[in-house]
Amino acid sequence: MDTKKFEALLLSVQKPGRYSGGEIGSVIKDKQEVDVRFAFCFPDTYEIGMSHLGMKILYSQFNSRDDIWCERVFAPWQDFEEVMRRENIPLFALESRDPIKEFDFIGFTLQYEMSYTNVLNMLDLAGLPVRSADRQSLSPLVVAGGPCACNPEPIADFIDLFFLGEGEEVDLELIDLYKKFKAEGKSKKEFLIEAAKIEGVYVPSLYELSYNDDGTVAQITSNNAPATVKKRIIKDLNSAFYPEQLVVPYIEIVHDRVVQEVFRGCIRGCRFCQAGFIYRPVREKSSDTVNRQAKALCENTGYDEISLSSLSTSDYREIEPLLGKLLEWTQDSHISIALPSLRIDNFSDELLEKIKHIRKSGLTFAPEAGTQRLRDVINKNLTEDEILTACKTAFAGGYTAVKLYFMLGLPTETDEDLKGIADLGQKIVNLYYDMPNRPKGKSVSVSISVSTFVPKPFTPFQFEPQIDEQEIRRRQEYLKSCITTKKISLSYHDSATSFLEGVLARGDRRLGAVLEAAFKRGCKFDSWNECFCLEKWLDAFKECEISPEFYANRLRSFDEINPWDHLDYGVTKKFLVCENRLAHEAKTTPNCREKCSGCGAACYGEGVCFENR
Amino acid sequence: MKTVRIFYEKRGRLKFVSHLDMTRFMSRLLAKSKIPVWYTEGFNQHIYMNFALPLSLGFEGLYEILEIRLTDDGYDLNKCLEALKGVAPPDIDFISVDEPVTAMKDIGFATFRLDFDEIDQGLAKSLTDFFESDSVICQKAGKKGKIKEFDIIPKICSYEINGNRLILVVVAGNEDNLNPTLIMNAFFEKTGISPPFYTVSRVAIMDKQGNLFR
Ligand code: SF4
Repeated sequence: MDTKKFEALLLSVQKPGRYSGGEIGSVIKDKQEVDVRFAFCFPDTYEIGMSHLGMKILYSQFNSRDDIWCERVFAPWQDFEEVMRRENIPLFALESRDPIKEFDFIGFTLQYEMSYTNVLNMLDLAGLPVRSADRQSLSPLVVAGGPCACNPEPIADFIDLFFLGEGEEVDLELIDLYKKFKAEGKSKKEFLIEAAKIEGVYVPSLYELSYNDDGTVAQITSNNAPATVKKRIIKDLNSAFYPEQLVVPYIEIVHDRVVQEVFRGCIRGCRFCQAGFIYRPVREKSSDTVNRQAKALCENTGYDEISLSSLSTSDYREIEPLLGKLLEWTQDSHISIALPSLRIDNFSDELLEKIKHIRKSGLTFAPEAGTQRLRDVINKNLTEDEILTACKTAFAGGYTAVKLYFMLGLPTETDEDLKGIADLGQKIVNLYYDMPNRPKGKSVSVSISVSTFVPKPFTPFQFEPQIDEQEIRRRQEYLKSCITTKKISLSYHDSATSFLEGVLARGDRRLGAVLEAAFKRGCKFDSWNECFCLEKWLDAFKECEISPEFYANRLRSFDEINPWDHLDYGVTKKFLVCENRLAHEAKTTPNCREKCSGCGAACYGEGVCFENR
Repeated sequence: MKTVRIFYEKRGRLKFVSHLDMTRFMSRLLAKSKIPVWYTEGFNQHIYMNFALPLSLGFEGLYEILEIRLTDDGYDLNKCLEALKGVAPPDIDFISVDEPVTAMKDIGFATFRLDFDEIDQGLAKSLTDFFESDSVICQKAGKKGKIKEFDIIPKICSYEINGNRLILVVVAGNEDNLNPTLIMNAFFEKTGISPPFYTVSRVAIMDKQGNLFR
């Protein structure tokens, strides 16, 4: 496209930096010199997508190969979409500004269900039929991965194949197969059948779901493909690929810093948390690896902040030596370290002392539930005493603001549990004022953020009904009425979004029609409150004669076939059933380091399952 | 400690980097370059940076100036330039690093080059008439949202039409500034000509005496 015209159009929209490309670290290659062009698509805005670590890793890894050119694509915001549609500009990749329709691969990362309509919209903007069956040629192949691929059925009609689990190895195996088939002039169908033989590749068109009269899945049958597909993991993170350079955006993004991964998985097994199950088993990097990788990234990007990233960074066994190593060089270089997602139950005095020199803002805890009983139900092994002790230490260390995360609508939740949230907040406020050594002249602030619980596949709560919207709102009101001080502020997630998220999370393939109908009604950016429109979605359900409540609000029996039962994430259904039973008895399960509970993830032969306990 | 000025060009895709984003971008570039830059003291330490004049989004800048301080007085300025060149992305060119000649407060004018696809005779005549008029009153939203009226003609020091280019020298600096987009919008509004496509480059910054600002 004509650069001058393009640039003039960019100036007519908000934040043209989202679409201009040319950032430091972005990779430009000669398209004649590469065999495979890969459009890595993040179905949300630039600022959100650019903050995503997985995308950074795969972008660098693909581009480290001479025969592949991977470029980035994000969902254009509405103002630019209007311009694109008006001026007939097809969806393009940021680096080359070439239409992605010409690429070999269009790969989406599915981080949350509410981005599905953006996937359809982006395919449409690219000038492609949204349905996989309507795209006949071998390329572009539309592929997808990410956590939502663990139940990809609602979006299966639109995607040619899914990667289950971690992508670093399987993606390249697939690309190599593609190169071979492309050179031999093979068809898409032939390619897909062969691709399905690669472990971790799920080709939905080779599977058929049939249904019972009551709407539940009767059978999942495979055709020319293995009966179950097993997720892939990277066994040794110390030797796995990790980028040395990142694309450094000009405009401010959500996480504008070096995001340094320390381990994958989580030892905890909180029963509501999908990430805690689908990324099992825990595999750590050594502190030397983490230190070396973080240092290289800082030097190459010029960032002045590192954030250590994992599901629960304080569970990292080498956290103290790591902080020591990092502090050796970061302080002189004016680089700060941020430690998100610290759990308080192993928040030692020493650690607190160390991070005191690092950063003093934002003390966040996630008790998730207001009473000990409910915390036992969800296996958040954390007592009120531990929370209060941690707050006490933190207050003594100069903190005055505490942020608490909770969930509303957890299985077995009663009003008493909700009141417990308010009570805990109040106890923290009281604790502060009872402390003689509290920071002088400062007031305490406790902010309570309450999201709505959404049952997810591959968790012990995958069988549970989600409470309906009316009940969500009643509980929200009740909780609000329990809070009596201005020192506590309360915020909620939108309940309508949670409902739809719940439907899509545990949906089956019949939802494809609904998704398409919603997209045709103009649904997009559903995770953005200002864009989300539940009415349009409800109309789409009506049009397809599908009841969303069937997916969200129904209790599933243990022997019901789930739409994701043919996908194997290591964790067995038997284990999930057992955990669900324990939940209803309010019995906790020890974490992987205390005692192995035999979840099934040891089948990968690596990680925490084989540590000395 | 020593104050130095970095002279550079900002082109291509970097035109879409706003002034605020430039600050972040430059501080990362300086950190990468390993030049011994001076950090401000106090709670929120950051690299000391002072841009001579902000540049509007979408404009090319061919004479951009950033002032920094070096902690090492004896640090070789050529080495400084080489270090910057070593970390620069394609659309920024570092031209030189020098000691300041004139104080920042003495900036007086800026020269802009507007490139049109074509300036035909009709357009040239309309432009000439416009710039030769006695006054053109424009409105600007001032502080507290108050609409302020002012005459742009006295703020335009010279204009020149050269082929498909229009060169404008306008007031610039701390006290007064005139954006060429504002001039052109006033022109199109006054003449009723539908705005053709054009690009804007700032090609020079001058002091109050009209000498190149250094
Ligand atoms: S097999 Fe045992 S140690 Fe391994 S992830 Fe499962 S519960 Fe944890």
